[in-house]
Amino acid sequence: MSAKRSSINRPPTPDVDRDRENQEPTLQEIINIKMIESGEKERLKELLRERLIECGWRDEMKSLCRAYTRKKGRNNVTVDDLVHVITPKGRASVPDPVKAELLQRIRSFLASTAT
Amino acid sequence: MMSRNSMYTNPKPCKHLADYKLRHGLSGYNLLQEQIRTTPSGKSSVKNHQTEIPRCCFCNGYQKRLYLCLICSSISCSSHTLLHSQCENGHDIAVDIERSELYCVLCCDQVYDPDFDKIVMLKHLMDLPRSGNGVDVSAGRRSSKRRRLCSALELDLKKTKQLVSMRDLRAKSCYPLGLRGLNNLGSTCFMNSVLQALLHAPPFRNYFLTGQRNHEVCRKRSSDRLCLLCDIYVFFSAVFSGDRTPYSPAQLLYSWWQHSANLASYEQQDAHEFFISVLDGIHENGVKARNTGECHCVAHRVFSGQLRSDVTCMSCGYTSTTYDPFMDISLNLDTGNCPSTDLANKSLKPSDNTYVSTLLGCLDLFTKPEKLGSDQKFFCENCQERQDSVKQMSIKRLPLVLCLHIKRFEHFPVRRMSRKIDRYMQFPFCLDMNPYLSSSVVRNRFGNRMFAFEGDELDTSTEFEIFAVVTHSGTLDSGHYVTYLHLKDQWYKCDDAWITAVEEEVVRASQCYMLFYAQKMLYYKANEDLVCQPVSPRADPFLPIAGCC
Repeated sequence: MSAKRSSINRPPTPDVDRDRENQEPTLQEIINIKMIESGEKERLKELLRERLIECGWRDEMKSLCRAYTRKKGRNNVTVDDLVHVITPKGRASVPDPVKAELLQRIRSFLASTAT
Repeated sequence: MMSRNSMYTNPKPCKHLADYKLRHGLSGYNLLQEQIRTTPSGKSSVKNHQTEIPRCCFCNGYQKRLYLCLICSSISCSSHTLLHSQCENGHDIAVDIERSELYCVLCCDQVYDPDFDKIVMLKHLMDLPRSGNGVDVSAGRRSSKRRRLCSALELDLKKTKQLVSMRDLRAKSCYPLGLRGLNNLGSTCFMNSVLQALLHAPPFRNYFLTGQRNHEVCRKRSSDRLCLLCDIYVFFSAVFSGDRTPYSPAQLLYSWWQHSANLASYEQQDAHEFFISVLDGIHENGVKARNTGECHCVAHRVFSGQLRSDVTCMSCGYTSTTYDPFMDISLNLDTGNCPSTDLANKSLKPSDNTYVSTLLGCLDLFTKPEKLGSDQKFFCENCQERQDSVKQMSIKRLPLVLCLHIKRFEHFPVRRMSRKIDRYMQFPFCLDMNPYLSSSVVRNRFGNRMFAFEGDELDTSTEFEIFAVVTHSGTLDSGHYVTYLHLKDQWYKCDDAWITAVEEEVVRASQCYMLFYAQKMLYYKANEDLVCQPVSPRADPFLPIAGCC
């Protein structure tokens, strides 16, 4: 006779309908939280801003916005429009050295806070 | 306390912002003020919880732009702001958390309110280290402003009856007054070119032509000594006499040699150096310099302005501000090259060789914040130690006549070598200096603000018109200066003794070295004074005036 023994050690079934807030944060979120708390995110943002200004990326985006606004007419353009238009181009045109530098900084940050 | 810059027209608020203001006034803004945090670099953000990460109340996202509702303080991301406004009636105005900028949910666009900006900037100022925060919150010094305006008008008002009476019957009435070739006395094109520009600087010209320089009673002349001002007066009279035969400014050259003994030779000289030296000579020869306040010699009244230099500590944001007078501004050519970051792999511009330098680019470069090198660490009063800092120049006060000098001669003292930069630079005929004023430059430090708080120059215009271009051709050792004059809508090429009317394309294509701009009103008034009849249609536009009467 195979009696089914209830496993008292078995963890409770996760409630699928539970709020998202109670789910375990993803790795990305953990890293983000750590970076914000330590102030590193703000520093990285400043660094990125500086590099993108230096290499002319910001001026390039500005002239893209100006061209778009001229085409559409000044009163027919919103900030949201501009953001949508230039985001793909902006993401694609970040120079590789800038990306590399930021990645390096993030890597060293992670290495220093590894528990 | 703070005056608004009337030059900057505030966009009209949208209906929703207007409604919000009617209903809530400034209460929402004031409550927000406490939550604003500022960084030394000038950024203001809203941080209502120190440690918590702001998240959208609908999707829990934290990576998009987040907006804080001004009425209920709930946070939505850019995808869900509309949803929030639909859930709660009237919650239409929000603040971009990261930038402290107003956003209208229903218009889906950024909106502006000077009252809001005032509150943000007040908070920013309060956060900055106490003394010398780099922002002048005192009311504009109206009395000195008025004095300067009066001075400008005075140079201008005393009018043209004298000019008309000086017109000689020999004058070719189809050309404007004051056009006369200058003989080259031995590599003196550097002098001739600058003199042509000075002859037509409106307030400068008026000073000498309207008898304000009374050389009869000049003490120096009566005791047989040289007086540079008197010689300039004689020079002006000769050029505006109506006689069109080329004039030899020998007396003036001799007089100037006495003043600048180190430059007295027959070698080629630098036109810009001559310009500065002549102004200096006028200053010293003229009215006794006062110990306090501004100098009232004609050179200063016409050409002097004031520069502002801000050095900001990158650690704490403390800014040290100094003001220095200037008689002209020397600009480096903007080449479009990035100082760091090798772009060889992913070049934004197709080829660096196609970048055209422009005057506005040079002015941008001049007023750009510049990181001081690690060997130039600035001693910060607030931190009490040397820190990395950023320096930024701007123009506090514009002169009546603005002389812009393009640095084309590079000197390498170590290698004992000099070279000339031949790069072409594009320049406009109408120039608006507003973006380079201290009020504009300082305002931009605080993000996207409509509100100006410097003691703005509400009275003086920032619009300038070009009237003279000194160009250089050739090499450093053997070159030639030529001046183009813009008189009554016609350009004239002044090449020593030869003066010809030319098309504006010729001027635009020339290699400019010194640019002379006059405040628009003065320029147009001056052109009215030059009595001139229209050139007959048969006239050859390239007919030289020199040597004919």
